[in-house]
Order: sequence, then C-alpha cells, then structure tokens
Amino acid sequence: MKRPRLPAMLQDLYRQRALVWAFANRDFATRYRSSLLGWAWSLLQPLVTLLVYAAVFSLVFRIQAPPLGSDPDRTSFAAFLFTGMVTFNLFSGLLMLSMTQLKSNGELLRKVHFPAWTPILGASVVQLIQVALELLVLIAMFMWLGNIGISWLLAVPILIATALFGQGIGLMLSVVNARYGDVQYIVQAVLQALYFLTPILYPLSLVEGTANWLANIVKANPLTWFVEAMHQVMYLLVTPDWWVIPGLLLFGFLTFWAGFTIFNRTSEDIGELL
Amino acid sequence: MSSEYAVELSGVGKRFQRMADRRNTLKERLVRGRSRNSQDFWAVRGVDLQIPTGSVYGLIGHNGSGKSTLLKLITGIYRPTEGQITTEGRVAALIELGAGFHPDMTGRENIRLNGSILGLSKSEIEAAMETIIDFSGLREFIDDPVKYYSSGMYVRLGFSVAVHMRPDVLLVDEVLAVGDEEFQRKCFDHLYTLRREGRTIIVVSHGLGQLEGLCDEVAWLDHGEVQDIGPPTDTIASYLQRVNAAEAMAGAVAAAARGDDTMRAGTGVIRCTAARLVDRGGTHLQHAETGRTFGIEVDMHCYEEILGPNLRFAFQHESGALVTMMSNHRHGFDFGYISGEKTATANLTNNPLLPGRYRVHIDLFDYTGSVLIDNWDDALEFTVRSERGEIGQGFVELPYTYTIR
Repeated sequence: MKRPRLPAMLQDLYRQRALVWAFANRDFATRYRSSLLGWAWSLLQPLVTLLVYAAVFSLVFRIQAPPLGSDPDRTSFAAFLFTGMVTFNLFSGLLMLSMTQLKSNGELLRKVHFPAWTPILGASVVQLIQVALELLVLIAMFMWLGNIGISWLLAVPILIATALFGQGIGLMLSVVNARYGDVQYIVQAVLQALYFLTPILYPLSLVEGTANWLANIVKANPLTWFVEAMHQVMYLLVTPDWWVIPGLLLFGFLTFWAGFTIFNRTSEDIGELL
Repeated sequence: MSSEYAVELSGVGKRFQRMADRRNTLKERLVRGRSRNSQDFWAVRGVDLQIPTGSVYGLIGHNGSGKSTLLKLITGIYRPTEGQITTEGRVAALIELGAGFHPDMTGRENIRLNGSILGLSKSEIEAAMETIIDFSGLREFIDDPVKYYSSGMYVRLGFSVAVHMRPDVLLVDEVLAVGDEEFQRKCFDHLYTLRREGRTIIVVSHGLGQLEGLCDEVAWLDHGEVQDIGPPTDTIASYLQRVNAAEAMAGAVAAAARGDDTMRAGTGVIRCTAARLVDRGGTHLQHAETGRTFGIEVDMHCYEEILGPNLRFAFQHESGALVTMMSNHRHGFDFGYISGEKTATANLTNNPLLPGRYRVHIDLFDYTGSVLIDNWDDALEFTVRSERGEIGQGFVELPYTYTIR
C-alpha cells in the first residue's frame, strides 16, 4: 500500500502526463465532434440558466447585487450571479465528471492495467476548456460594464484552488461511485442544495440578516469561501485579506492530495469492481 | 532483461466474491451490512509458475479453469489475494483486442491512444506508427473513424498495435482465432519473430494443435490449480486423457437403440434396431479417435429372408456438411442371403475423421439399390478426438505421402 507521500504523487502526475494528455485528446476530439458548433452549444446551458435566474431573482425576488467596484452607483445582478456560477460550475463540473469516469472507461480498465486516475484527469482537462469559455463570457460582461481592475489577476489562483478542491473531492468519491452506483445521485442532490447555500444568487450580506443557523451553514460551506473571493476580485475589484488566497490554495491542494491518496488506495481492485 | 524468468508466480491465489452476494447499491450495503465471506470462491489457488525469459508458454484448461484470471493477475489488472507475482519488463496483453478503441476516433488517433495506455512515449508511438499501419493492412482506412470498421478490421488494428508496442512479455488470450486465414498466418509469423527476438509470450488457447507447434512449455489448469507442467506434447496428452475420461464418466455413450417408430419409411422387410461404436475387439466405445480403427455396428431384424441388401452410412459433420457415405455395394461386399437377427459392422480402418462431432444416418436398400427397405436418420452421434492433440482443419485426414526431387 502506498504511503501518502507528496513527492510520490508529484512524480506520478509528471510521469503519466502523456497518458493524461492522450485521454484529454480523446475526450476533446469526441465530445463535440459530431456537431460543428459544439463548444458554442456547451455555453448555451449556463447562459440560459443565467438569463432565467437573473430575471427571476432580480425582478421577482428583487435581490440587489452589491455596487460594482468601478462605479458605486451601478450594480449588475447578472454579472454578480455569473461570477458565482462560473466558480461553482468549475467545482461541480469537475466533481460530477470525475465521478462517472471510471464507469465510462470500465471496458478499458477491466482489460488493461494503467493508472485509473489518468482518464479522470484527462476528462477534467477538457472540462477546464469549458470553464475557460464561461470565463471569457464573464470577462466580456465585465468589460462591457466597464468594471475592470488589476485584481482580476487574483482570479487565477482562486480558480486553480477551486479546481483542485473539486478534483480532490471527485477523486475521493469516484471509486465509491464505481462500487455503489447510487452515490452520484446523492452527490447531485447535495450539490443542488449547496448551490443555494452558497452566495451565488444572493450576496452574503443578505443571509447574514436571516436566521443565525442558516448564516452559519452558508459561511461554513467551503464553496462560499471560493465564491466570495471571486466576487471580491472580479466584481468588487478589491484584494481579499492577504491570507485568503494562500489559504484557499492550501485548502484546495490538501483536498487534492487527500483525494489522490484515497483514490490510489481504494482503486487497487478497480479491474474487478467495474 | 537479464533475469532468468520473465514471469514468476509463487503460491498465487485469487479469491472472488460471487456476484449475487455483492452489494451494488449503498442501500443494500447499509441494510444488509458487510457481506460474509462464505460465498467467496477461489478462481486460482496455489499456482507456482516460472516462465523463462524468451520462451513461449501455453496455458490450457477447460472454460472456467482460471486461465484468464491468471493472465489478468500477470498484467496487474487483478491483485493476487495471496502469493507473489514478479514480472520483468513491459507486459502487454492481447486480452481483448482494441479494448481501448474509441469508435469516434480515427484509426491513427486510436493507435496513439492505445500506445499511451500501453505505456509508450509519444516518440515511441510515432516511430512505430508506419509499421503498425502496414502490418494491419488498413492504410486506406487509417484516417476514418473506427466505428466504420468491420469487426475483422478492428481486431487487426488491435493486434497490430499490441504486438508493435515492443512488450517484453506478451499475453495472448484466445485472440488467434480471429481474423481471416491470411491475417492469422501473419499473426503467427509475428509471434515467431517476437520469440526470436527473445521476448516472452504467454498464450491461452483451446487450439491445442496451435499450442503444440508454438510453445516451449505448457501448463494445464483445472479448477484454478495447476495439474501438469511440461513439454507441450506431454501436457496436452495428459489433458486430453482427462477430458476423454470425463466424457466417458458423463455417460455420453455413442450407441443408440431405436424406439418403435411406425412412421418410418421403407418396405420394412428389415428393421435396424440398434447402432453403436465399437473398437476392434467389439467393446463399446464412447468416442472415436483419429487414426485408430473403430467400427459401427448395426443390429437388424429381418422379417423375411432377403438377398444382398445395401446398408449405407452417411457421415455428417457438426457443421452440417456431408463428409462421406459408406456402402457395402460400392465396396463390393455382398451380405448374401440374410434372415432373423443379424449384426452388420462397418470398420473404419485407421479412422481418417479429424476431431469434431459427427452424426450417422443409416439407410438400407434392396439388392437392386432402388427399393428403400429402412431409413434411420440421426442414428448415432459421436465425437472424434485426438490423443495427439492435432486440431481439425477440415474433416478427414487423407492417406498421403510426400516426395521431393
């Protein structure tokens, strides 16, 4: 049994980079090969969600977004909402995709011996392209609003931390899901709940004025930390406290390390589980 | 690759949980708790094998004897429950050809992906690319998605990829039976080439004849345990002896008594009542063997005295083909006047039938050959085996000699 040694993990990741890349290439080539506008379609779902949510929550529920960093007199609920959505989708997309990868590569894993996490990371690489597209739309939105700042650069480490966090949880749960197929449905339900327990559709200040227990849950939700940091650097154009981003990176990295270690321990018999 | 053995197994065992007892959903797991171990079974146990570097090693045994489990243990897909496995160098398996192929990707893209999965670097793959394409004979189609390939093309590409990945140990599981004759030949040639290069090959096959020619050593597995290891001819012979004995125990008697059948054709002056396989001494046989003389006996009941009838046996192969027809008239043998209870025997000297399953249809004509007296379809069904282990290519072994000038 492998000990959870950090150099060993980094070495593994480096040694298998070609295989991860090969799986990424496969998924990239096949994901939208049959439709010319494939990548454009992949944006359709988040954009429609954005439109509907923006309309319902700002017009019906009259939720006010905080003032834009560039101009305290203006707000944009859509931009605020989309900032949170992109961050959350990065997490949930990697998590859900990772969980199903072992099953969809089962044929291969039953017959050839290779590190089982490579197709998972390969799929995640492709998922990151999707996130990058959403990010481009977000940037375009902010540029149109004239809400531009140097703090944007801090979005990069925050998103890296978010990705590591999602991937770590995904690795932890993927073997369990290969063993018990119903785990993914539970996770799906939990994610849905988390979506509303993260300040995506409302500013964090709004929940602070409600029941104490609810505010505590929202604040204890790790995704709140990531989403709030993104709101700060992208929407409010402020720099978070100095410890926030290193803290998120450390948290994301530790989750990934734990996920990778747990995965390697639990996936040793994957060839017969599938 | 300096060590003496490419693959070494010592005391290897693999235990599986029965599928019926596995908890497949969380709810089942929670409600019923951990499964007890009482339903476990050992697919292989106590296996000691030493496979010398550069040899061709065969594994034989009936279905479910643990051969494939053993291969999966050697590749590392399964971990042994007990015991030790050591392998030297890169192990590649032809367990199922083209397992990693993605239908939407082209042949070329699939070669790249499969190469990476088998552990090759990009430059190694590109270096082998042209050879692989040439070997597969699919150059014309190599940039088409493999979903448009026929199953034969699929397998050819899979084989080409696997054998050109320069594995130190190549595992071949029952895949030589695929592809057309020409490609099979090519595969065998290539296996011989690999052997000359000093690579180790482990073959699982039911084609005992193939193994006999190819292997240096053969291990026979039964119920997950090694029964015999040795030179191919010896191991295969002892395996076949067991198989034949088992068949005899199962009571597959190649003999039949005929029930009363009012619907049968012919005048009915003579009725065939029973038929069986016998050896030279008249002892009943359960099966026939290629190259060994045996006879078919038919009991007849003659209601009247009759002159010189023609008793014919038609041999039909399991594939449906009519192999041959025996007739005492054609052979110039005259029964003369016969009456009462008679038993006729047709002797097949040095049985030329190759291994397989055969049916015998019997009919009886009068001396003119134009009036049907009796007809008995599917009178007998029997198996021809071969102690020497040759595999049937066709139905019969013709008497022949070779000369060279």
